[in-house]
Amino acid sequence: MTTTISGGVAVYLEGVRRVFDNQRAVIAGMDLRIEAGEFLAVLGPSGCGKSTLLRMIARLSAPNAGQIRLEPDAERFQTAFVFQDAHLLPWRNVLANAALPLELMGEAKARRDEKARAALEQVGLLDALERYPAELSGGMRMRVSLARALVTEPRLLLLDEPFAALDEITRFHLDVQLRDLWQRRGMTVIFVTHSVSEAAFLANRAVVLGRRGGDIKLDRRLELPAVRSNDLRGDPRLGQEMKILLGAIEE
Amino acid sequence: MARQLTAVSDNHEMTSQRMERRSFLKTLPALGLLTACGKPAGTKLALNWKPEPEFGGFYAAPYSKHGLQVEILPGGTGTPTVQMVGAGSVDFGIVSADEVILARSKGNDVVALFAVYQDSPTGIMAHASRNLTAIGDVLKDGTLAIESGLPFARLMKRKFDFSHVKVVPSPGGDITSFLHDEKFAQQCFLTSEPIAARRKGAAVKVFAVSDIGYNPYTTVLAVSGDSLRKHPETAKAMVAAVREGWRAYLDDPKPVNQQMNQLNPTMDLATFTEVAEVQKPFIETDATRSSGLGTMSRERWETLIGQFKELGDISQTIPAEDCFRLV
Amino acid sequence: MRKTLLPPLIPLVFFTLTAELLVREGFVRAYLVPAPSAVVRAMIDSRVELVQALLSTSAGALAGFVMSALLGIASAVILSSSRGVQRAFYPYAIFFQTVPLIAVAPLLVIWFGFGIRTVIASAFVASVFPVIANTLSGILSTDPSLRDLFKLYGASPLVTLFKLRLPAALPQVFTGLRVSAGLAVIGAIVGEFIAGGGLGSVVEIARTQQRIDKVSAAVLLASLLGLGLFGLINLLSYLMLRRWHASEQAE
Repeated sequence: MTTTISGGVAVYLEGVRRVFDNQRAVIAGMDLRIEAGEFLAVLGPSGCGKSTLLRMIARLSAPNAGQIRLEPDAERFQTAFVFQDAHLLPWRNVLANAALPLELMGEAKARRDEKARAALEQVGLLDALERYPAELSGGMRMRVSLARALVTEPRLLLLDEPFAALDEITRFHLDVQLRDLWQRRGMTVIFVTHSVSEAAFLANRAVVLGRRGGDIKLDRRLELPAVRSNDLRGDPRLGQEMKILLGAIEE
Repeated sequence: MARQLTAVSDNHEMTSQRMERRSFLKTLPALGLLTACGKPAGTKLALNWKPEPEFGGFYAAPYSKHGLQVEILPGGTGTPTVQMVGAGSVDFGIVSADEVILARSKGNDVVALFAVYQDSPTGIMAHASRNLTAIGDVLKDGTLAIESGLPFARLMKRKFDFSHVKVVPSPGGDITSFLHDEKFAQQCFLTSEPIAARRKGAAVKVFAVSDIGYNPYTTVLAVSGDSLRKHPETAKAMVAAVREGWRAYLDDPKPVNQQMNQLNPTMDLATFTEVAEVQKPFIETDATRSSGLGTMSRERWETLIGQFKELGDISQTIPAEDCFRLV
Repeated sequence: MRKTLLPPLIPLVFFTLTAELLVREGFVRAYLVPAPSAVVRAMIDSRVELVQALLSTSAGALAGFVMSALLGIASAVILSSSRGVQRAFYPYAIFFQTVPLIAVAPLLVIWFGFGIRTVIASAFVASVFPVIANTLSGILSTDPSLRDLFKLYGASPLVTLFKLRLPAALPQVFTGLRVSAGLAVIGAIVGEFIAGGGLGSVVEIARTQQRIDKVSAAVLLASLLGLGLFGLINLLSYLMLRRWHASEQAE
């Protein structure tokens, strides 16, 4: 049995519709309720609108119809985003990159460096503070990106296939770290991925979108233990969930 | 040597076209006939400026009558005619006597055949309101635009005190700066810029550079020494044709002016007429009346060579008789 | 050191010796092509005049180049602010590129007089466009995900310009500056043809004196000036980009 942990933000999508210039409705009327503290995985084939959905939730673009409500919506910068590539500023070192969101929010240098250090410690990069992105491996850069997302102590964390470009071992490692961070902080996490195994390992709820228009083919609570380690990888229950998810995608 | 003939027009054009258009003699019906009468292969004549009255005789010349088929190539600022003749890329070129001497001193074997301008039309133009009386007066104050590299400029530097005048590069026929500044004097061709300036309402006073004793033959037809040795008859025919052409042009410049105006529309027809008239005393002098148009004398060449030696432009005297040939 | 200096020297030595031989043996006429030894002699004989001319041209070219750099970057920043501004004003920037300098120089003399101001103006006109074009291109090609990131944390367009778009554009700015450096020297010399002074004047006067050796000496110095300016830009680029841009990373 899984339980949702509170401390995050609930996201309510009502009749959300997003159309692009060529009149193609990427998302044609979606209703979805994401409760606070959930770890939601969003799956689906390419072009099904997963990334568009995420960007709308992040308020980087607006729906053409319908609305997306966040509850609560008091704090200004409670959302964080992790992209598919680390997208670090190459002319700044690791510490400055991690501290960027706080810098943009106007926080003083001493405080933001302290918070950035804490975030980097959480992802295990405390000894790389002075290094520049060009000197880091792909996995390390992604960890900086993660730290950067966590530095504002977000209540809603959105990730768009963040580990897709990494090798499997690094992925497994970061999966565990992410799950761990989520459990400790209690934020809402929405994780878009192509990988059925990753979705099953990380999330406590998975949504599978159809090929067109963002229609929800499957919305399921995963029947997996709350505490997840790499041991789960060999557990038959994981395989079962994966089968169900795969089945929904292949329909 | 850069030419100073102006383009009298409202667009202060200063071009550096290099043989952009080929001109073919249009008015002479004899030409244009590529007959099989054994005419020699095309002969090229390179001008050192655009088609203007100073070249009238060359356009008027009856080349085919003398067995020649001549292609005239107009020039512009900096057209290196003396090098082109020496290198053989053209058969004949228009140069000035000082260019010939300098070229010969550097081993470029060019020879002068026919001097259109017996007296140098180079001069300095100043505003009449300054009430200057002699050429040295332009140096009292103000600005003087001259090509400092030219021999006459350097001779002036030796003779006069330049400490009170600001020397700037010659605008190459453009009179805009002159018109805007009363204290601006510039190098000019006595047959062109003053006319253009008067047209624009300025009262000008001109001084001929020959006043300081520097008087090279100008608009001189030159050939390479090599060609002269190998085909003396071509040179002879060329000079004969050119002499006739100049006679014809001096007597009646109108038809050729029309033709040249087509080729060079930057100068209007009225100016062509005026310049053709004003240039006559430079072309037809006592010397030409006795010895024929285009004639040259050994004394004149020797004087010029001496001046170059004095300036230090040539290290040793070159024989005057090598510089020119009357054919 | 050896790797960068030796390879270009070999053809140089070869061509110099060949030219010298051809002129000495009379295969090529000295008044058409100067023997390298004659050029060297001219440099030594006229060294005072040439050094003074070089300093004058350097001043003009450098001043014009600095103006191009500052005004060029500023113009690109303004152009980047909106599509409308770009459409309205970019064609005029192109004008600087396409106008034939030798036709414009006499106009410059009318406005700026005979002297170094025209030389600077001429150098500016000749060299400003590459800076504008490259800087604009750099600013406009900022990673859209990074722009999203800045938007997410509420950064104003001005903050985004100075903290993201300009630093990201720096490599392209340097590309523009490299092209511009040589053009500034050419522009200065063309200006000097008309307005007097510097190496342009030396070339013009020597040309009328048929002193092709002196012309070559002056032209050589002008080329070295262009090379020097180019080298300076490269040094600056190395210092500013070495920690983070691939173009300056060691092989």
